[in-house]
Amino acid sequence: MFSSPITSWENVATYFTFSDSPTGIAISLAAAVGIYLFLNASIMKHEKESFDKHL
Amino acid sequence: MTVETVESLKATFEMHQAMNVEVFYWWCTAIMFMIHAGFLAYEIGASRVKNALTSGMKNILTLSVIIPTFYFFGWWIYNAFPNGLIPIDASAALPWSLSMGPDVQDMGTGIFFAAFALFGATTGSILSGAVIERIRLSAFLILAAILGSAVWILAGAWGWHPDGWLLTELGYHDVGASGVVHAVAGFFALGVLMNLGARVGKFQNGVAMYIPPHSLPMALIGLMMIIVGFFGFLGGCIIFNGGETGWTTIYGNPTNLSAFGFNTLMGFAGGVVGAYLTSREPFWTMSGGLAGIITVAAGLDLYYPGLAFVLAASGGALMPIVGRMIEKMGVDDAVGAVAVHGFCGFYGVVMVGVFAASYPNVGDLPDITLSGQLIGAIVMALTGFIPGWGISYVLKKLNALRVPPQVEVLGLDLVEIPAKPYPESLPAQAIVENTLEPGQEKLV
Repeated sequence: MFSSPITSWENVATYFTFSDSPTGIAISLAAAVGIYLFLNASIMKHEKESFDKHL
Repeated sequence: MTVETVESLKATFEMHQAMNVEVFYWWCTAIMFMIHAGFLAYEIGASRVKNALTSGMKNILTLSVIIPTFYFFGWWIYNAFPNGLIPIDASAALPWSLSMGPDVQDMGTGIFFAAFALFGATTGSILSGAVIERIRLSAFLILAAILGSAVWILAGAWGWHPDGWLLTELGYHDVGASGVVHAVAGFFALGVLMNLGARVGKFQNGVAMYIPPHSLPMALIGLMMIIVGFFGFLGGCIIFNGGETGWTTIYGNPTNLSAFGFNTLMGFAGGVVGAYLTSREPFWTMSGGLAGIITVAAGLDLYYPGLAFVLAASGGALMPIVGRMIEKMGVDDAVGAVAVHGFCGFYGVVMVGVFAASYPNVGDLPDITLSGQLIGAIVMALTGFIPGWGISYVLKKLNALRVPPQVEVLGLDLVEIPAKPYPESLPAQAIVENTLEPGQEKLV
């Protein structure tokens, strides 16, 4: 993936992946939030299944 | 020496100074992880065998939800809300800002974000111990994220930010986070405990029963590990400035690690002595070390070490008494978190007002006063309690706060965790499992 915002290390400041691409940042951040939310949903599902199995 | 040489030396010196700042907070953050290793051992030990791994799993996941949520919104809350509940522009702290990622020329943001995220994780772990053995993991992680990435850092913006209204209006002084971390987390836990209810069997005919930890030695070692981690925590509370300023507190007044060294150790020792004198019990005695440090943390830069010892001893002595009082009120705080963190944090903030009133703040900021500290302590307690009670009340009404009673009796490990803590020597789970007939999945 061609995600580098720099072509050399001369006078570099911000240089992280997608730092020149708001879309890339948005997609990465949305995916991170999505994983966090999925974790919560997954735990709730696991709890329900576990409790149902033992009750 | 030529001008060019002087300029070159100056640039080299400034670069090394900035690197030293990074190195200092890097290791403070690393040492703070010891707090969580300690909480892990402490809570596993404090649980009964049937819940040991669930308590551990809860602890591991606490860190893993607070760190990202602190990145998503916690750092922004700290920077946006020093004036109260109306945000100011803090767009550089939003997660899509270019300041929130690797930048060769920014040697501060990331390392301070890391230290603050670990402070937040500590609040989550404080809650974690209080609610063991009956809270749903899903509910706990929601509460931990809110506490660790929103509630405490809002209090931090008010009482721990250079422009926080508690400082600018009242001269609030809380250098070691007695209020902004411990009181907030302790009172948040109290609010949750009131809705969560006691463990099955804890109260019989209104009398509190003793539910022994399955491994008191593990709990004691965990507590000592938390103490080790506190040196990273308190180190992270001091500001390593560039230039000629040197060390300052988070409020800008001069201090140094020597001041923290005197009073952290005297606080630990005093707390242990005080707790031993009023409890004679190892769990409370070891918790006394924590209670002592929390009691003196707010004035860690100001106290005469002898006074710090006395204050810590009083906090440590009162802590088990407060713990028993809370229990008599029908609140089942499995590890005494409300007494250790809530009470001692509150008490520590007030004691600064009693013994350090009239100390100046820098610039035009008001002096430290008893009334300012008292109001600050109340603000901290309410900032923790109100959301803790309110959000857990909603979860309770949704039947999403607590595990079903049958599950609690069986043990959470058996029901939720695909592993056993002591597979070759654990009688409790074996007994439960041996009640199953071959092929039978449900207990009769």
